[in-house]
Amino acid sequence: MSESAPTAAETRRIAEEARDRVRFEEEALQLSDQVYRVARRLTGSREEAEDLVQDTYARAFRSWRQFQPGTNLRAWLLRILTNLNIDRGRRVQRTPEQTPLEEGDYYLYNRLESTIPDENPDEERVLEQLSQNAVVEALAEVPHDFRDVLVLVDIGEFSYAEAAQILDIPVGTVMSRLHRGRRILKQQLAEKAVVS
Amino acid sequence: MGCGCDDCEKMMQPYLDGVLSEEQIREAQEHLEGCPGCDKRFRFEERLRHFVRVAADEPMPEELKVRLAGLRTAG
Repeated sequence: MSESAPTAAETRRIAEEARDRVRFEEEALQLSDQVYRVARRLTGSREEAEDLVQDTYARAFRSWRQFQPGTNLRAWLLRILTNLNIDRGRRVQRTPEQTPLEEGDYYLYNRLESTIPDENPDEERVLEQLSQNAVVEALAEVPHDFRDVLVLVDIGEFSYAEAAQILDIPVGTVMSRLHRGRRILKQQLAEKAVVS
Repeated sequence: MGCGCDDCEKMMQPYLDGVLSEEQIREAQEHLEGCPGCDKRFRFEERLRHFVRVAADEPMPEELKVRLAGLRTAG
């Protein structure tokens, strides 16, 4: 009889772990749309995004014990994803030091407004000068370090603190990269909208 | 655009992000009330952020969902 107690405890532990694992996997899968949305804009193609998301989930399911229940699962998954993305060698591409100085925050508005013949058009009319394709193309032109933050905050709707945690950089760096990233994006948008 | 527009331009992003101090918010709002040019550019920026989010959104292929579910080790 004395040996049955540890066995029962062990059985219960295994059952609990199995249940936790099922719950973890279900919760992770429920977030896959949001994970894909970010992956798609961090990568250059749909295929790359699909591979990246698949590798992220394979790794997440393998290392599920490292996730602390009650903490932010979405950020945890994105941390895996951004690390995998960096491991894939994208760092050989442009670095922030090589990016041109961006224009001010009013630059895009001023450029778009100047293409409209009407006197004093409203902001809705100015925005109509932009196409969905221009946004996708302009985002792809933003250098990686800025794009990571821009995609996480402005598209993935992560907070500054979450983006900092995911990318393992200080919150101040998130804010400055976001600020510059948005300006670079607007400069790219201005070029695409005004040329095409 | 009149006096203070350069400062207002610099405050646009933090203003829309909600990270300015109360005093800075008051300063920006005072300027915006008297400056239709800046006011319009702030409203444009808000709409632009929404437009970027919607334009950049691409739904996940259904077939990838199936593949991800296939990676499950539990259940």
